[in-house]
Amino acid sequence: MKTMDCKDVLANLSCYIDGEGSAELRTALEEHISRCRRCRVVFDTTGRMLKIVTDAEPFEVPLSVSARLYARLEKVLSES
Amino acid sequence: MQKDELAKKGVPVQDDLILVDRVLAGDRRAFEPLVRRNERRVFRVTLSILGNIEDAEEAMQDTFVKAFRHLDQFRKEARFSTWLTRIAVNEAVQKRNTRKNFVPLADVDNSEEQFTPKRRESWRSNPEQVYGKQEIHRFVEEAIQSLPEIYRAAFVLRDVEELSAEEAAAVLAISVPALKSRLLRARLMMREALSEKFEEPPTLKTKIVHTALDVGTAVAMRLMRAAGR
Repeated sequence: MKTMDCKDVLANLSCYIDGEGSAELRTALEEHISRCRRCRVVFDTTGRMLKIVTDAEPFEVPLSVSARLYARLEKVLSES
Repeated sequence: MQKDELAKKGVPVQDDLILVDRVLAGDRRAFEPLVRRNERRVFRVTLSILGNIEDAEEAMQDTFVKAFRHLDQFRKEARFSTWLTRIAVNEAVQKRNTRKNFVPLADVDNSEEQFTPKRRESWRSNPEQVYGKQEIHRFVEEAIQSLPEIYRAAFVLRDVEELSAEEAAAVLAISVPALKSRLLRARLMMREALSEKFEEPPTLKTKIVHTALDVGTAVAMRLMRAAGR
């Protein structure tokens, strides 16, 4: 099996997170991470970042913005 | 995102199409629920491209007006939300291009160069114990806003709106590999930005242990490389 260096791990990080890549690539990445603390930290914290972002549900539409949207659409919808 | 996942989130894809048909048949009121279901997504997308609420609001209004007036052009091969997202991206990009201080961002896309993470400490096991929910919410929004536009748009479409890589690439009119490369960079930048808040403050002991481990790993890798020759 081909071994991966830190640069390869970084380049394939996103693919791995998204469940892509061959079994061989995924195993090589896991093998590297198991013995490289620095890459393991980047890998773990990237996963945690994604979870935090999903849970946070960022950017609500402000109420005033929403109200003005419906007011404008009201006009457009009543045009003949 | 697959249909079953959408259904789990309470957004039955089929219902959008039924509403579209009703509007096309003359029931204009059926457009309102379509707006309700999609206003947040459209707002996030326009905000991610334009970077400020005023411009995002205008682009959002124009998006829905355009969608309503051109609804007969919607081909049902794509999901209504994806079609709408594409209009939102176009509206926002057009608006951005008319700004006086606009610099074409395609020219500063250096995503081919590898981004090197600088922060390498683990995160606290439970940030919620240190920060309130509101605070974490604000950190996330600030981190997203701090990304350069091309990365921000890729990140919002893919990791906030959960479009597939293919859908996000189509919406942004870029190739799938380009989308993936921007997404990787965006994720690493987001990780970096949030690390500032969530990193475990290192103790002297952990510093020493980590340095020893790093030295050990470097030696082991050299040995492995030498053995492989």
